[in-house]
Amino acid sequence: MRLETKIDGDILIVRALEKRMDAKVAVEFRAEMGRYIDDGHRRIVFNLGDINFIDSSGLGAIVSCLKHVGREGDLVIAEAGETVLSMFKLTRMDRVFQIFATENDAVKSMAT
Amino acid sequence: MEPKRITLSIDSTLKDVALIGLSINKICSQIPLTDVETYQIEACVVEAINNTIEHAYENKTGHRVDVHVSLHLDRIVFQVSDTGLSMKNTLSPSLDFDPEDIENLPEGGMGLFIIHQVMDTVTYTSNTHKNTLEMTKAFLDHP
Repeated sequence: MRLETKIDGDILIVRALEKRMDAKVAVEFRAEMGRYIDDGHRRIVFNLGDINFIDSSGLGAIVSCLKHVGREGDLVIAEAGETVLSMFKLTRMDRVFQIFATENDAVKSMAT
Repeated sequence: MEPKRITLSIDSTLKDVALIGLSINKICSQIPLTDVETYQIEACVVEAINNTIEHAYENKTGHRVDVHVSLHLDRIVFQVSDTGLSMKNTLSPSLDFDPEDIENLPEGGMGLFIIHQVMDTVTYTSNTHKNTLEMTKAFLDHP
């Protein structure tokens, strides 16, 4: 799965460069994110702005990453579109993740 | 009036599931549903196919997955069929979890939950030759 990353302070910003986050890419995503987390990145903004489809495998992979960063870290969601957001709400994952309209808002919330 | 019908088929590989998902989305865009409803229906069909590939065919390629679509005036019906292992439990699953209890958040088992949440009726039939998950979504009449 193609991911673009940048660093802002101690925050890792990850942007998915795919249209679909589904069972086909979920395992690969989990592994790639696992490497970033194991490298010490525990505060992560995941930008879903380019994603227009996510299924339960994609959601499960994001949950897995949240578990991996642990209670000492954090993983928040930014720029999820209406349809993708509906899947978070349907599965009640909107109660688990902090979800921000913009990447800047997400970074600001983590910086404070 | 006879429903409009189409059957879409793929090999049992996750890389081809999006082809059916995109087709379903396009078909649903012809009927009076919101973008979110259309998306969620696409997601249900994708979840059903994923389940078939991962469980009925145990992630082995070389098997056929059929999706029969019947578009009626007031509903759309999807039948996802396979000839693999039958599902043991297709009842509506619960998805109860404590959002604060990160260690125990569910990473799987959400597909069937999503299907039951979105679709109006869900049935599963299985015989010695074929398993079929049928999902129906009702909508207002369309011209």
